[in-house]
Amino acid sequence: MPLLGDFCLLFALALAAYSFAAGILGFIRKDEVGFRVAETARRAGIASFFVITGAALVLVWAALNNDFSIAYILQHSNRALPTPYKLAALWSGQEGSLLFWAWLLAGYGFVLRVRHKVDKRLVATSSMVLAGIQVFFLLLVNFEANPFGIMSRVAADGNGLNPLLQYPEMVIHPPMLYLGYVGFSVPFAFALSALMMRYPGEKWIHITRRWTMVTWLFLTCGIALGAHWAYAVLGWGGYWGWDPVENASLLPWLSGTAFLHSVMMQEKRGMMKVWNVWLIFVTFMLSILGTLLTRSGIVQSVHAFAESAIGPWFYAFLMIIFVVCVAAFIKNRKHLQSENKLESLVSRESSFLFNNLVLLAACFAVLSGTLFPILSEWVRGYKITVGAPFFNKVMLPIGLFLIFLTAVGPLLAWRNTSLGSLKKNFAIPAIFSVLVAIALIPLGVKPWLDVAHLYSWLTFVLSALVITSIASEFIRGGRVLKDKLNTNLFGGMYHLTRRNMRRYGGYIVHFGVILACIGIAGQAFNQSKEQEMAQGDKLQIGAYTLVGQEYTEDDNANYQSQAGLLDVYKNGKYLTRLNPERRQYKASNQGTTIVADYSTLKEDLYVIYEGNNPDTGHPIIKAFINPLVNWLWIGVLTVVLGTGMALIPNAAQLKSPVKLTATAAVESAGGGASMRPAGARK
Amino acid sequence: MKVVTRVLVLLLFTASSLMAAENTGRYERLGSKIMCTCGCGQMLLQCNHIGCPNSATMIRQLHEQVDATAATNDDDAVLNFFRTQWGVTTVVEPNRHGFELIAWILPFAGLGLGMFLVVVVVYRWHGSPAAAAGEAEIKLDPHLQALRERARKETEI
Repeated sequence: MPLLGDFCLLFALALAAYSFAAGILGFIRKDEVGFRVAETARRAGIASFFVITGAALVLVWAALNNDFSIAYILQHSNRALPTPYKLAALWSGQEGSLLFWAWLLAGYGFVLRVRHKVDKRLVATSSMVLAGIQVFFLLLVNFEANPFGIMSRVAADGNGLNPLLQYPEMVIHPPMLYLGYVGFSVPFAFALSALMMRYPGEKWIHITRRWTMVTWLFLTCGIALGAHWAYAVLGWGGYWGWDPVENASLLPWLSGTAFLHSVMMQEKRGMMKVWNVWLIFVTFMLSILGTLLTRSGIVQSVHAFAESAIGPWFYAFLMIIFVVCVAAFIKNRKHLQSENKLESLVSRESSFLFNNLVLLAACFAVLSGTLFPILSEWVRGYKITVGAPFFNKVMLPIGLFLIFLTAVGPLLAWRNTSLGSLKKNFAIPAIFSVLVAIALIPLGVKPWLDVAHLYSWLTFVLSALVITSIASEFIRGGRVLKDKLNTNLFGGMYHLTRRNMRRYGGYIVHFGVILACIGIAGQAFNQSKEQEMAQGDKLQIGAYTLVGQEYTEDDNANYQSQAGLLDVYKNGKYLTRLNPERRQYKASNQGTTIVADYSTLKEDLYVIYEGNNPDTGHPIIKAFINPLVNWLWIGVLTVVLGTGMALIPNAAQLKSPVKLTATAAVESAGGGASMRPAGARK
Repeated sequence: MKVVTRVLVLLLFTASSLMAAENTGRYERLGSKIMCTCGCGQMLLQCNHIGCPNSATMIRQLHEQVDATAATNDDDAVLNFFRTQWGVTTVVEPNRHGFELIAWILPFAGLGLGMFLVVVVVYRWHGSPAAAAGEAEIKLDPHLQALRERARKETEI
């Protein structure tokens, strides 16, 4: 089987290389021959998906059948490992995850190439760009990080999967994150192709809008699942530690978010064309940088894999991408001239511009902090550590400014906003947020206590501003339709949303982000207490009393565990029983905590079993009260809901789609690219 | 509107001026800037390893240093103690002087520069003849006009 896997990888490389080379030929020759060659490139690209799928299946089969003759399976699986985690072995190590990257990319490429009729020329060039990226990853898995390396001697059992990864969410988190990372390849390929072909208009944006949104959604889910996993498994009471690998996932998310906003400017007003092209270039490069940071070990991280030789490959690839992007831009930049200009600083356009700027500033802050240790090593000869306190101080003011823009942006008019309109739109949200600011003080949010309280207070106040501005948008539009359609306000708001899913789905996304921000702001009020607890002992934290009832030990093929049964009382009243656990995995000899969490909208009572005191033998229990954590998860679910809504076509649009006429075919300024309506044949 | 703005400014000013008030959690604050050196990758006060070879000693030293500098509230002295004792990577916050100051300046310099450029670009555009003449739409083919019209509808009522 390993030989079959190797064969599949080599064959896939040959197909991708052909697809790339034939794609270039098809791009250069714009005649019938070029068109036919490009068609063979497309088919080779489709075939490469099936071949890479074969390689991935071989690795999964090897994991399921405990084939420890394969070094990768030996290192990342063992006989006692439950079946779902054996499947997860595909992406739990470096070689497997790179194969997984290549497979997902081939999958995206497959969908793109099958749906080529949407615009054959543009898809052909985009397919060529994707094939180029595929070649890089296939070179990597064939010659530098081959997952089918064979052991000279077959071991009886494997080393097992990292116990921290043996958690249900960990089976979903990496694929989600990778779907996000890899997905940005598609809009990148379209943007680069459109630029190289001097493609007229924003058609590449229309084609890739859903791709980008789905990709962004995957990345959002991936980041959120990672945060939830950290919260539920790592047992330190938090969900985001500003670790370099966490930051790596945030970078393309921030620039991708900026892109999703700024493309609206191009779609609507024909502006920011250069900005949009570079935003998606940067987003893709940050995805590659993220993979480099995760996989190469160039920065210290609790997640990073051992230092490996793939770093130079990624540096070279990033350099090639950068050079290609710059060259394409310099050659074709005149094609990207804006059709309109900003008319006022107080307008929707400028709010988009500032929103983009702040998102990119956040991205730059995270990037500079993440890479500063490397810079420090070059300049000073030693790596310093840049951790959570730095990022919190830098990112919180930027984040607050972003929340403010989220509130203000939708209330501004396109082109120019008059003072009267400002007063009218802002009066209610401003008054409400002032009332919230005052009401928070008796509730215990005292901004004068320390910086953490001040930031939390500001977050709550600005969140109130955003929520009110979103609500006022729904209510204002709902009232108009209520009268028109002779329905009630909620009916009006429903019809309003159905008629404009993209806009109102976007507002729901904003609402979700604000809920998440409220959840994050709750961190300022975290409490924790650690105590040795024998049977019958009590631990008091906040209004909660924990009573140690029973302590047990267990032993199975995969791990040994110690667990506690703790009764929880709140203000003297019995609430629930919690069961924190600590496991010691046999194959890897690593320990993990299984957190017990009593979660409400107000706060989480988060309890971990730290182990036994070696002197007394008594269990040590650590309890945290983490306020508002659930708001973060609900916020993420709301973001998912809003993005899903924005992906659904409008009700009116379903009835009357945009008519594409044959006269729409246009010749590009210099590239000779023709744009044909969907389904039209040459 | 003016009253609301004044109230907001006043609230922000009050909050900011009180921000520097006495902080009772100096030990927790400093403990959250120091990393446990046992290899767990966690902050000193969050290290949950039973039998951790270093955290108990480091926590004791943190208590001693916080007490020793109570009169001056010199946080840098405490952090420098840990840098010297346990290595520069122990403290997870860059220094606010010398080369490491760049880490603090870079993000805000980037934001400030970006803001400045946006304002300059907007004012330049504002004064340009195209803007003064109002909407100067470039003639697009009907298909693209239709797509743009759809985008307009999808992003506004």
